[in-house]
Amino acid sequence: MRELRLSAMEVATLLVIAAIVVWAALFGSRLALYDLTIIALYATVVTSLNLLLGLAGQASFAQTTFMAIGGYGLAVMAKTYGVNPWLAIALSLLLSVGLALLIGKPLLRLRGHYLSMGTVALALGTASFANASSFTNGGWGIGGVPALTIGGFSFRNSVAFLVLAWALCAASLLVYRLLGDSHIGRAWRALSTRQDISASLGIDVPRYKLIALVIAAMMASLAGSLYVAYTRFVGPDLYDISQVINLMFMLFVGGLRSTVGPIIGAAFVILVPQAVSGFEHYQNLVFFGLLLLVILLRPAGAFGRVRGQRALESILPSWLLRWR
Amino acid sequence: MGSTVAQGPDEPGLELVDVSKTFGGLTAVSSASLTLRPGTVHGLIGPNGAGKSTLIGIASGFIKPSSGQVRLAGRDISTLDPTRVAQLGLARTFQQATPITGLTVLENVMVGMHLHYRSGIAAVLFRTPSMRREAREREAAARSMLENFELGADADTDAADLPFGKLRFLEIARAVVMQPRLLLLDEPAAGLNAIETERLAAIIRVQAAQGTGILLVDHDVPFVFSLCDHVTVMNFGSVIASGKPDDVYRDAAVREAYLGDETAEETAA
Repeated sequence: MRELRLSAMEVATLLVIAAIVVWAALFGSRLALYDLTIIALYATVVTSLNLLLGLAGQASFAQTTFMAIGGYGLAVMAKTYGVNPWLAIALSLLLSVGLALLIGKPLLRLRGHYLSMGTVALALGTASFANASSFTNGGWGIGGVPALTIGGFSFRNSVAFLVLAWALCAASLLVYRLLGDSHIGRAWRALSTRQDISASLGIDVPRYKLIALVIAAMMASLAGSLYVAYTRFVGPDLYDISQVINLMFMLFVGGLRSTVGPIIGAAFVILVPQAVSGFEHYQNLVFFGLLLLVILLRPAGAFGRVRGQRALESILPSWLLRWR
Repeated sequence: MGSTVAQGPDEPGLELVDVSKTFGGLTAVSSASLTLRPGTVHGLIGPNGAGKSTLIGIASGFIKPSSGQVRLAGRDISTLDPTRVAQLGLARTFQQATPITGLTVLENVMVGMHLHYRSGIAAVLFRTPSMRREAREREAAARSMLENFELGADADTDAADLPFGKLRFLEIARAVVMQPRLLLLDEPAAGLNAIETERLAAIIRVQAAQGTGILLVDHDVPFVFSLCDHVTVMNFGSVIASGKPDDVYRDAAVREAYLGDETAEETAA
């Protein structure tokens, strides 16, 4: 409700983003189209995280696992077994839902740092599996993934793919808002801070956590599939632990529980390293310096709605924040 | 919820039968029995550490009894979790006022209505007319409940920012909108001033008149005795007296264990 209402600033930001996408579709360079497509797909994954961690308070570091199922699922089925790519994406989606249902109950019983550790283990396991298995072609990855087509029309066209990616992103944001601004979202926000009280009010806490995980898994899986459909390549690097951390950066820079935050966060983490590439060896230093600056100036993120430091406290150890 | 169970004046309500709870070597509750009938106010008093809150915890599914049985409308609920117990029509408040922070005062009350929402995920995603109507109606009901509890002006405040007295009322409002058949209040008057206590008494009377069975745990003996149809006294985990307020008040064991101190004599006089 209050936290989910779009501020004037957010509406303005959404309009500006829409204008940039339209401009890029009409006049954009290849790089602009590429960047904007990747931003849309990452913003989708970050939105899934915003639902799971932002609304429901479940600090999951395993969204890369579902991206990997979406990505590898498409590549293996479409390239190795010749399945229609759209069907492969749908089957990967089912796989992701299946895994979420399977691991959800035991995993989501863990709380706080234990949940973080459990999901980090899952993310690490995913990357190791992708790196070691012959099924995923190990460290080589799988190239030449078939392009998406509808009838005679091919999504090799980068403008068409830009539209597809932003359609997925917009759909995820819509799902996030519609669920968030309902009794379901309210139950998530309630159990994110007080599980005991939520239970005493009749909220089935494990079930609601599981619903959040499944929906988040679906978003991440679809975005993971489209990413691979776009670059036509999948490899273990896409899902390693640095990607997990990048997703968290994106979420926190944009702001927990903010609707447009994931787009801003994804844009920051994807574009700033490019912008500071002139610093060469110091590129990372400059990027993380800027990142630190953003976090210090706006602890709740660019559009964060979680008051004060709660956003940071929910994820960083307290000793790290004390010096502020 | 739970409308399949018999309701009416003869409904057994909540029954705790020979309930015990030990934590390690410590006996918190020792074969205590208590019956809370719908439409009545039942006081539960006793010194600190007598086991009153443990008993509420056992009745609401938060604490599993070591032995004995908890029955709700005749059904054994001893092993059910708090969610299921709440779904069967039992609401409780906590000794520490417990706002859900990050939610507004209005939202806190609306979370209390969670069980009554009929719209599913699909209805929410497609914003069906019935879903929107339900959301509007529930919000209106929550706002009018806030007015009843004199919290109307605070509807959009973060619950964390509410002063103590109002937090108590918010918590009770959140439990009342669950429309429970049984409501367990753990020291609701603690920290309230005289005016607030009088408002609380009025609320409890109204709820009981509407058929809710209320278990009232409190230290304020005159407050409890003035409201209750039935009083149970606990000491060291055991029930030492139970009956009509006047009879309990005359009970020698009670006077010695609990009412024997000077302040109680004075206030009750």
